[in-house]
This record gives sequence, C-alpha cells and structure tokens, in this order.
Amino acid sequence: MCHDTTGTYKKAPTKAGWPDKGVDLKDVAEKVGHSSRRSCGRCHFNGGGGDAIKHADLAGNLLKPDPNCDIHMGGLDFSCTQCHTTMRHRIAGSSSSVAAVEGVVRCADCHSDRPHLGNSLLDHHLNMHCSTIDCNTCHSPVYAKCSPTKIWWDWSKAGDKNRKPKMIKLGNSKALPDYHVKKGEFKWGRAVKPDYAWFNGKTKRIILGDSVDMRADVIQLTSPVGLRADPSARITPFKIMKGMQAFDARHHTLLIPHLFPRDSKDTTAYWKNYDWDKSFADGMQAAKLPYSGEWQWKETWTYWRVEHEVMPASMALSCVQCHSSLGEEKTCNRCHQDNRHINFKELAHKTTDFTFLKDKRDDVEQLQHSSDYIDFKALGYKGDPIIYGGRFKKLPLGALPQG
Amino acid sequence: MKRQLFRFRAVIMLVVLFLLPSLSMAQNSDTSRTLFSQDLARLRAQEVVPMVDKVKVEGPIRRSQRLHATELSIKDAKTTYFLLDSPIIKAQEDHYAPVRFNHGQHAASSGDCSVCHHLRPVDNSSYSNHPETVRCSACHQQSFHPDYPERLGLKAAYHQNCIPCHKKQNAGPLTCRGCHLNNVPEHKQLVKLPEKPDPLQVTAECLRCHEDDANDLLHTAHWRWRGASLYTQDQSRQVDHGKGTTALNND
Repeated sequence: MCHDTTGTYKKAPTKAGWPDKGVDLKDVAEKVGHSSRRSCGRCHFNGGGGDAIKHADLAGNLLKPDPNCDIHMGGLDFSCTQCHTTMRHRIAGSSSSVAAVEGVVRCADCHSDRPHLGNSLLDHHLNMHCSTIDCNTCHSPVYAKCSPTKIWWDWSKAGDKNRKPKMIKLGNSKALPDYHVKKGEFKWGRAVKPDYAWFNGKTKRIILGDSVDMRADVIQLTSPVGLRADPSARITPFKIMKGMQAFDARHHTLLIPHLFPRDSKDTTAYWKNYDWDKSFADGMQAAKLPYSGEWQWKETWTYWRVEHEVMPASMALSCVQCHSSLGEEKTCNRCHQDNRHINFKELAHKTTDFTFLKDKRDDVEQLQHSSDYIDFKALGYKGDPIIYGGRFKKLPLGALPQG
Repeated sequence: MKRQLFRFRAVIMLVVLFLLPSLSMAQNSDTSRTLFSQDLARLRAQEVVPMVDKVKVEGPIRRSQRLHATELSIKDAKTTYFLLDSPIIKAQEDHYAPVRFNHGQHAASSGDCSVCHHLRPVDNSSYSNHPETVRCSACHQQSFHPDYPERLGLKAAYHQNCIPCHKKQNAGPLTCRGCHLNNVPEHKQLVKLPEKPDPLQVTAECLRCHEDDANDLLHTAHWRWRGASLYTQDQSRQVDHGKGTTALNND
C-alpha cells in the first residue's frame, strides 16, 4: 500500500484490509519503492469517503498539481515525506482531525522564522507578522481551490428514497450531487475563503463517549485552542466542516451508527435497512457505550486547518486586503518619517491578483476587492489592528482613532 | 584543460539549442514556473562548468568586509532554488536522489555570502552571474584532482560546508536522510515469489530482509491507529487516542 509504485494495489472494500483479488502482488512487490503523493493520497485524499470530502486541501489533483494550486507539490514536485519527515516509520505531522501525533511539521522548518527574504522595510514588517499570523493566512487565502470540498453534511436527511439529487457545478468542476440516500444532504464549496481563529497548536476534541452540552446551538467536535492574549497563538485559517449528526437525547453522547452491512443477513446496518434506531443500537453496542433509544439531531462543526495548497508568493494576500485603514493613507507617515520615494500605492493599495480563480468560483471580483479579509472583529479586535491593536498607541506614534 | 573547455562549450551549445526556447516558452505561459520550476533546477544540476584555475588569495575577514562593501545581496541571486545532483559526484557513486537546496533562505539567514562563497576566482570570466559567488563545483570537482591537490572534491566540499554549520546553528536537516533520499535498489531480482502469491507470502518475503522496519512499523500510529495526543487539550499525556479508539467521525 504505502510502498507501491505501480498504482495498482488496492484494498477490497469488504475484506477488512486484505488486498483486492485482482492485484498482481508479485509485480507490486518487485516494483516496491518510496512512498509518494499517490500512495499516501490513496487514503489521505479520500478522507470522508471520497476525493477532497473532508480535507479541503488534500485531493487527487495533487497527483499532477497546477503550481498555482500548490507551489510545493506542483511547482517543486514535493512528495509528502519531504515535509512530513519520517523516523523509523513514524511520520511527522499534527492533524486537526486525529489526536495521534508523531512529530510536528512547520513551514518554518524550511523557511525559518524570518521567511521573507531581503532587508527591506516591507520584509521586516512581513517577518513581524509571522509571530502572530500563520503563514497560510496570507499564502493560502482560499481553500479547495482546485477540487470542490464538502462543507455541509446533513445526516438527518438521509433515507429519502424518492429524493432525486440535484447536481451542483462549481466553476469548471464536474457536477456533484447535493443528496445521497445513504448519507443525506450536502453542500459543496470551491475556492472558499477560510474561517480564521487564534490557534496555539492545541486542539480541543470531543472524544468517543464524551457527553456534550445539548443546549448549545452548535456542538464543536474539534476546535482550535487560542486567544488573542495568548502569545503562542497565531491567526490561522480553517475550513469548518459543518453538518447535522445524531446525539443520544439522554446521555448527550454522539451516536455511532452501524452503516456498512456485515453480510446479506444484516438487519441493523443503515445502508441496508434505513432504520436509524437499529443502526444506533448496534453501533453503540459495538462501541461499548450506552444507548437510550432516543436521539436528537444537532449541528456539529469540526475545524480543519488549511495546511497545504500554498500558493505562489505572488498570490499572497496584500496589505490592504486585511488592513483597510491603509486604504485611507497616502504614505507610511503614521509611523515612519514621510518618505515620498516609496511607491505607497504599489506597496499597500494593490490587491491580490485572483484572476487564477476566475473559472473556479463565480464571485472572484468580490473576493479580490474585499477589505478586512480575515474579519478582525471575530478575532477580538474592534477593527483594523493598525488603529485598534494597541501596540502603536503604547508608543507615541501616529494618529489616534477618532472618537 | 582544453578538453574541459570543449565540454563546457558543448554544454552551452546544448543549453542554447534546446533549453532556451523552452525557457522562454515557460516564461510566457507561467511566471511562477520560471522562478521555481523543478525542471529548470534539474537542468541546472546537470551543468558542469570548467574548473577555476587560480583563486584569489584573501583572508576570510577581509573577504567578508569586501563582499559587504559591494552590497551584493539576496536580491542579486537570480535563482533561489537548486537541486544538487552533479554529474561530477554521480560519475563516482549514485546512491541518492538530488538534494533540494533553498539558496535564497540560506543567503538570507546567513546575511554574508562569504560564509559559503569563501574564495573567488582571480579573473572575472563568466563562471556565474557574479564572479564573487561562483558555484561550488567551479572549484570543487573530482576528489584528489592531480592538478589541484589542495582542493576538496565536490562531495567533501558540500559536506564540510553544510554539516558543521547545520550542527552549529542547530537548524535545518541534522541527519543524513534529512538531505539525502536513498535510491531504492531494483527489487526484481531480490524478491523471490511464486506466481500469484497470497498476501501473507508477500509479507513474509518483505520481512525476509526488512524485519527491523516491520517491527518499527508495529509501534506507529499508522499501524496502531492510536498514539500520543500531545496537542489535544487536557489529553496531552494520553497515548491511546486515535481512529482506532476514541476519534469521532474524523477521517
């Protein structure tokens, strides 16, 4: 599986890990080699049961990526292990979705903590940003740009055999269904602007058997830990996978359904019998957890950090796209001596060229001209941190906010 | 010397005839490719330049001062990404995949070109974009060169420059494998399997040589589907969370 270079090895879906009968195992063994995007991607591109379903930034397009989709894998032909370094088969990388970890991969491992090369004042400012902003906040300003990802999955709507799926087309992607009788209702997104949150590297997780607060509007199954006041937290982009899932109405635990039929005599599997009650009873018994027989559908969110799909530097967010206050300035004189030799318009007013995305989503114009791109209010500021962040006010620099 | 010059000219001719047209095409179609392309780095890695005959005698401090005075900087580097895969080393041994080298990052973090470009040729002939910063292989080629016995071979030059610095800075790759991905030997002759083997026969055949690796694998998260949850709030000392145990709908 992991060291197959032929691309022919595959598991039989019903054989619990045994290879498919049709695989020429001798040929696979004779051509064994290093892992590759293809071998890792066989599982990791398909999280959630298909291409790019849950991981917004991992999809089959990374086998032969456009450099604009992912500069590392597309422009420089990186394999996964180039960054996810291995040591005695332990593979570095801390995922948002699964707790187990065997090492951490940081952009700074290669790019250092001062990744903006050069000695100019702009490089200095950008490097200062690195202590408070994750690289991908600017360098991957949209997720799922080259393959649509599922952003909404409503299990409560499953089981309607009469409902015909509507086919959704996002830009030039192939049409995708908004419904599957086994799985429920979906929404898809492509070249989506992420949600941003303070993140200090730790994740809060609801784990199997945890009871949750059923009064909450939304149950956050995984969420980033971090606060504006936390010096180790950085503003980080996330895809939030939203959906409806069933909770035990009495025990307040997320219910585990039994989905895939064990055999032809199976009477409890949801994908055969379409009876949630039997499916939950069986699934919870298998998980050795109590099930009261009553359930309630609740909205759930899981946060998926946007880690891959780094775009070429020329497509990073520009200054004015977050700092709307710069749009009103004409020079750098808020903090620096007035120097007319600097082309302030070019430096601060220019917006990112998103024309690459024009066949990928319909409202690229809006994205291109948005100010306050990362939504400072949601991150705990009154507005643009240049005005309201507080650091500049501590020094006798610049104009104070009006009022 | 003449033979080397001839070889250099031949390489230049090849570049002019075949590569330049494709370069300009790449430039037209996609600017990011021109800057970063793996293909360009691959082509560059195959070049062999004529050996520098005489180097300028200059102490390291004097050289560092002089280079600073020229205001030579990262902005002068035309290419920031190289693959190190020289035919000079490959003529002797070929065990590893090309080494990826982020020249821009190294130049920026050292801030002093003379740290690596420790000497320069006496004359200004066109060894590189800038005669102060010729490539390593302009002076370091085959080891124990009869005409230049004082010079390290290219492989030793790389190692003696890279390894002590990475150790001292405690930065970048610190192990052999951190830079060098080994070539996998052809397994066609090594693997002994009957036609249509069953899966367990294949596993046993892999283990015949790779038992240690297999034992390593048994302790990993990919095999056990659980592991240390260092970065999960309030669970940082647990070692049993994962898809195999407690994860909820997390693929």
